[in-house]
Parts: sequence; structure tokens; C-alpha cells
Amino acid sequence: MVYSEECAIIFRLKGILEFACQLDNPNGSQSQSTISKSFQGLRSKVSSKNIVFTVCNSPILIWPNTGFQSSMESLTEASACGDILQYIESDDGGSKKTLKKKDKKRSGHTVVNLKLLFEVTDPAGNEAPSLIRVDTQQHCVKMPLHLDCVLSVTTEESLASVCTGLVETLRKQLAEMEEVVQRYRKGSSFLVPQPFHFQLPEPAGLTTVIYPAGVPDSQLQAIREDLHRKFELPSDRPYLRRANAFHFPDVAYKDGYLRNPHIHLNPPNIEDAKLYLVQGVYIYHHYMQDRVDDDGWGCAYRSLQTICSWFQQQGYVETAVPTHTQIQQALVDVGDKEPRFVGSRQWIGSIEVQVVLNQLLGVTSKILFVSQGSELATKGRELANHFQTEGTPVMIGGGVLAHTILGVAWSENSGQIRFLILDPHYTGGEDLQTITDKGWCGWKGPEFWDQNAYYNLCLPQRPKTI
Amino acid sequence: MGRSYFVDETVEKYLGGLLADPGSCVTGFLAGQSSPQRDFVVLAVQTPQRESEGQLKSSRGSGPLDDIDVEWVTEHARQVSRMLPGGLCILGLFLVTPPELSKDAQNTLKRLIFAMDKCISKGRLWELTEEDVTDRVTLHICSKTKKTVCKTLDVKDPKSSAKPADWKYQTCVSSSWPMLTCSVEVDLQIPLTGSSSDNTDKCMKDCLTRWAKQIEAGNCLISGRQALDDSELISAQKKNLKTTHRQTFPARILVSDPELDERSSALVQLCSGSVRVRGVVHCRAYIHNNKPKARHAVQAIKRDIINTVSSRVEMFLEDLLISEGSRKGLCTGQQALPRRVFAPMPFSGLSVCDYMFPDESTADVADRLKEMLDWETPEEDIDISLESNQLFSPELEMTDSHSDDSRKHVISEVQVENPHIHKAPQYYAGVAVAATIALLATATSLLYFSE
Repeated sequence: MVYSEECAIIFRLKGILEFACQLDNPNGSQSQSTISKSFQGLRSKVSSKNIVFTVCNSPILIWPNTGFQSSMESLTEASACGDILQYIESDDGGSKKTLKKKDKKRSGHTVVNLKLLFEVTDPAGNEAPSLIRVDTQQHCVKMPLHLDCVLSVTTEESLASVCTGLVETLRKQLAEMEEVVQRYRKGSSFLVPQPFHFQLPEPAGLTTVIYPAGVPDSQLQAIREDLHRKFELPSDRPYLRRANAFHFPDVAYKDGYLRNPHIHLNPPNIEDAKLYLVQGVYIYHHYMQDRVDDDGWGCAYRSLQTICSWFQQQGYVETAVPTHTQIQQALVDVGDKEPRFVGSRQWIGSIEVQVVLNQLLGVTSKILFVSQGSELATKGRELANHFQTEGTPVMIGGGVLAHTILGVAWSENSGQIRFLILDPHYTGGEDLQTITDKGWCGWKGPEFWDQNAYYNLCLPQRPKTI
Repeated sequence: MGRSYFVDETVEKYLGGLLADPGSCVTGFLAGQSSPQRDFVVLAVQTPQRESEGQLKSSRGSGPLDDIDVEWVTEHARQVSRMLPGGLCILGLFLVTPPELSKDAQNTLKRLIFAMDKCISKGRLWELTEEDVTDRVTLHICSKTKKTVCKTLDVKDPKSSAKPADWKYQTCVSSSWPMLTCSVEVDLQIPLTGSSSDNTDKCMKDCLTRWAKQIEAGNCLISGRQALDDSELISAQKKNLKTTHRQTFPARILVSDPELDERSSALVQLCSGSVRVRGVVHCRAYIHNNKPKARHAVQAIKRDIINTVSSRVEMFLEDLLISEGSRKGLCTGQQALPRRVFAPMPFSGLSVCDYMFPDESTADVADRLKEMLDWETPEEDIDISLESNQLFSPELEMTDSHSDDSRKHVISEVQVENPHIHKAPQYYAGVAVAATIALLATATSLLYFSE
């Protein structure tokens, strides 16, 4: 993982525009142009002098289309956009602040949220209202368009150019939304277009794609293939599934789980070691979560859950992470266990993990066997290769314990190695500070393993799909 | 600890000058502004005489108090409340009685207050907040001794009893009240489901209610600054202790389209037609100058925006009902809604407004002002310039230009498609009006489906 050193700001503009049109005959030839006209009207609306950007958590208002007016005298069109940051109140305090700083350093992004508003005062004319009645039978279509535009700039960029850029992005997004609406319309059935942002490798960068709501990822394969070609993305791993959407650093996850606690750790200090880490996002599953008391027997199940979460977060599967019961049922279903296994507190090992990954997720895994714990220190190259090519979390079971390996720090020359371990035996709450301080997620040396026990490692393989 | 009413001296003069026939009563309303700490009364107007047929009254026999036409009094108050700009409202009623009826006066006032409040709050598109004062004032004046008794009733609680209140006269209560103004563009597309007139009215009301919520939720800038938190309207540096002129603050309103529920597909309705309300409304609101909070001023101007649009749609539909007579409803094509004109309020320097139908003139407005406010207004004092009588041209739309400079409004003469058969004053008084008012009262309640 390479951390960007650039001081970049992401301007994120969100707003709702209502799309409305009246169709005489939804199946007729005229309807396409009527819909087009309505979208044209919306594009005019965002180009009009009535639109206003308000910077969230600040008193700043900007009229981007009236030769740049702002409600703050000190912010003019020539001001650097980074100047806005001093006026924004951050809304969390306390212990979270230190972590936030670290995160900012890691992601290199500050997000400035803007909201789109329309001024209804200061109209062009002063004609008193009139009532216009139309008496034809029509289909009245109404749909909220949730606009979500992003612009990634450096702090030196002028405010004026940021605003012009945002207006242009709004127009472009409306055009793309129109395309999606027209493509998926069947008569009077319209699907709502939804924007998703993806952090693609340079030069594409932060890119927005519009998908129709209600159409699952599996049916959008052809669209993704086109986009993979367009952005020159590898054709064997997903970048543009909805689950791959960029997570803005200032938005909290709704489910309360911790993701990627390892990014808050400092790597071990080994001379000329390289880091080979898990790619993408996983969720930390551990004892006692979800009100399931599996203290003492569930460690392998939790490691398996962490692996399943990885496949879900990267967009390979849409199913939820399986519960202990579902895991046990899967093993019964394939004939690996007797029916009374379900509801028991029996342990499972790497082989069972491999079986369940195949049964529930369609994922194949390689098994690596070491006859003695001391041998693990020699598996640096294999693990490094695994993290480089597959990048999936590894479940390791042996002795009486199961763990998850998230990466290795390995020196090809000296052979020195450290293991990044995620420990499922943690019984506390989702407290990042404790988890990192106490080593529930931490770097361990080869002495961590029981030197005499044998171990099996389950290395899940990425499906070759987009 | 009762409420305190600070009343302009001109109101004292007016009340003192009321002539009542011996043995009979005079009713009227009191208008002004309420604030959480105190209330200000700037206007008092007696209920206009109703030209009734013959000796209806004397045949009833139970006494002048019972003869008071509650419907008539409340209807007058309702009509006038449309004429009050933002921040001002009907605060209560007064009753002048001869000494022998004084003891029953309180009961009558209570009946009138509750009836009036019910009448006025029908058709209102915004909700009262916790900060809104729900006390209404009742003022009883003895015609012989000129003694006044002032009490308040809480219209939120019909079972409550009247509480005593202070009634103090002062000079120039409202002379330095700041005024907020703005012009708001309205463009509402209302699909009509169903075909009956009732349905049309309901669709319109639903749409207007949604629009009203959008306005209420909008950001408001007063003189370029947002009214956040509990700040005062007039900051310390701008305060002049004795300003002789009235400060005017332009207001700007910013809205966002409403957040509809999460859907994956569009809402499609089969409609029998649609109604579009489009144009620019000019709005005004006053706020008292006793350390007013910015958010109260914001609320006043927002409510004025909502009221002016809903009032004129209401008036248009009422007028249609009377002139068409049947349930035919709106006809196709473009019709002008009545436009807003302003005139000086009796005695105080504030303004009142009225709505002028396309076929009316300032003379009609002056007649109406005389009738409703008991006040002669010279025609030249009626300002009709704020809203123009030219109509938007619906064809000139949807240009794909990048800016809106090319949007020119086609000047078209106002086409009067439905000439109004009767002039406005006849609307409120005159022959066979008793029947019409009764019809109106029922029709209004049908039109606006009060829960």
C-alpha cells in the first residue's frame, strides 16, 4: 500500500433535484424527447444564477454562477480553496481527534462537503402568479435525483475554478443520469439513477459511475467490462462493483464494526524488509460479537467470518457474512459433518474453512501445511507471494488456536520475518485503541507460534471476475 | 402574571370614537404582533355593518348579545387576516356593550374568540410552533363608562378560563419596526389525479403544503447574513436608539428539493390533467423592535410567503365557485391569480395588502379597504407596482442555453377569460349575501378538508 504524499482536498457536492415530466403516451415515440427535454431543463437549472453552494458545518455560501459571489468577504474567486478549511467546524471531539489525524495522514484526503441549494428570491421578473391548467390525460412521472459530485484538487486551486469545475460536473452527471434513465426505461417504468464513486488507479483517480437502482451487480457485467476497458483496469478483479465504492474518510460506517484496524499500526523495524499486506477492506470479527458467546470455541469461525467479510467488501459476493449456525449448516450440507453438529460448540479447522468458503461463497482456497510451528518462519516467500497476488486474509489453525494472518514483513536477504496477526480471541467491544494497544491486532515474531505443534493455513484465492 | 398588551394611542382614539346605537353592541377585531414576552396592538377595526333584509334582528328577541352574528364577525376577521403582512395577525376581539349587558360580555367574547380562531386557522399551510403565542385578547368596553376589561383566552385549551391581562396605551408603538421584504419565484407543477373538483382542490392543497414545508425548511439570509442560532436581528453596532425611519432588510431564501423516500423506481401517476402555478410574489413582514431575534423575523417572512400564495389560490377558487356556481372547477388555459397590492395601514406606518383580480381597479381596492378596515385610502396611496399584471408565457421554456440570460418573458396583455360578474365589495355585503356567506363557509370547509 503506497500512501500518497499530496495534500489533496476532495470537494463533495450533494443535492437533490426532482425530475418530473408528463408523458402522454409512455410507449410512444415522443416520450424519449420529452424526457430529454426535462433533463435539459435540469441542466439549465444548475447553470442558472440561482444555484447556491453551502459549505456544510460552516457559514459559507457561494453563488457560483453569478460571477462568483460568496457570503464571506475574505473568500473571493481568487482565494485558494484550502482557505475554506479554517471556517469549517469539525463535529467530533475528544479521543477521536488523534485517530482522525492519523487517518488524514494515511489517506491524504480532506473532504469538504457542500450542499446544493436554489435561491427562490431575486427572480428575473415580477409577473404575478397565474394558474395554467392542462386537461389531457397524462402519466406524471416524479423521481428524486440524488446528485453526488466529487472534485479532487490541491489546496492551491482557486475557489472560482473549483466552483466552475463542480458546476460542470453537475451538468455531466445529469447527462449521464439521463443516459441511464433512457437505457433502462420500459414504458412508464423508470429506474432511479444512482451515483457511485470509485478510487481507481491513476490516471483515472476518483471516478463517478451511474448505476440504475434495483439492478443487481450481476446484471451489470457488460457495463463493467466496458468501463474496465475504458479505464484500462485489470480484467480479473472487481473495481467497479457497488461494494467497491470509495469510502469517504469523514463518513462513519453504519454497522458499528471496525474495518482494517491494522492501518493504525506502525510497521516493525526490520532492516530491509518489505511489507506484504492484505489488499482492500475486511471487518474484524472476534469472540462475543453479535451477542454470540463463542468464547473458547469460536476462534476459527471468527477468522472465517473475517475472510467472508473480505469477499463481501471487495464485491465478490453480495451475501452477508455467515453466522456460526450457517457455517455449521454448510458443513452438514456438504456431508462433512453430522446434522447434530449444528448448534454444537465444536471447533473447526482450516479444512472446514476451505470447505465452507467453497460451499457458501464459491471461493477456492489453497492449504499450506507446516509440521512444526518453527517452520513458519521459513514460509516468508510463499506468504509474501500470496499477499501480492491474492491479497486475501489467511486463516491459520494449529495447536489449540486459530488466528488470521493479515500480512508479513519479510526480508528476502536476511530471511527475517514478522507476522501481522488479527486475533479472534478478543472478547471486548469495538474499541480501536484497546485492540491496537493490547496487540489484538499486531505484529508478532516467529516465537508467537507453538514451535512444536503442526499448523494448517487456508489461503483463499480470488475468483477471476470483475 | 398575565400578558401585557402595548397598544398604540391611535387605537385608543378609534375605540373611543366608536358610535353604538343605544342598547346595541359593537364588535371588532384587534391586530398586531405577539412575542413571547409581550404583545403589541396596532390596529382595531369594527365589524362592518351587514345589510340584512328587514327586521330579522328584532324578531329574535333574546337580546343584542345573542344577535351578534358570529359567522359574520369571524368571516370579517378571516378576510382581514389575509390582508395583514407577515409578522402581524389578528390578536383578538373587542366588544362594546351597554352597561346592562356587561356581565354576559365575557361569555360572548369567549364564543367569538374560539369561533374566530377556528375560522382563521383553516387552510393555513404552516404549523404553529412551541414558541407561537396561543393567547388571544378580549377587550370589553362599557359604552357608558368607557371602562375597559382586558383578558386573554388560550385557544389551545377550550376548557381554560380567561386570564386577566394588562392593557397599556403608548405612542408610536410600531413606527420603528423593521420591515423584511423579498420577491419569491413560485413554480409548482401539480398533477391532478381523479376528475372531480374536490380532487383538484385536494391535489392543489397537498402540493401547496409540500411546497410550504420546503420554504419553512429553507435557509434564510437577512441582509446577506444567515440567521443562525439565537442571534438578534439588529446587531449592536447597527442599532440606532431613536431611528425615525423604518429599516428595511432584504431577505433571501434558499431551498432544496424535498427528500422523497428511498425508491428504486420513479413515482408514476396517471393524471387527468395538471395545474401549474407560476409567477413571482412580493412579500413583506414586520418585526417588533424590542430586541427581536433573527429567527422570529425569518419565521415571519417565510409565513408571509406561504400565506400570500395560499391566500390567492384560495381566493381564486372561492371566486370561481361563486361565479361558476356549479362544481365545474378550473377551466383549461392560463388564468391570472389575483395580484398583491399594498396600502398604508390605518394610523400606523405599516402596510396592509389586498388582492386585485385582473378586471379590478384601484377604486375597487379602495372600496374594499373602506369596507374591511373602516378607513379611507386615497387611490394614489395604493401601490400596485410590486407585482406586474403581465403573464408568464408558458411556451418559452426549456432552452438549452448555459445561462438564463436568454429567458425573456413575453409581454402579453392580460386575457380576461372569465370576467367577474360582480365587483368585490358586493362579495362581502349586499343582497342575498347571507345565503352566499353560508355557502362560502361550507364551501371553504369542503375545499380545505379541515381535519
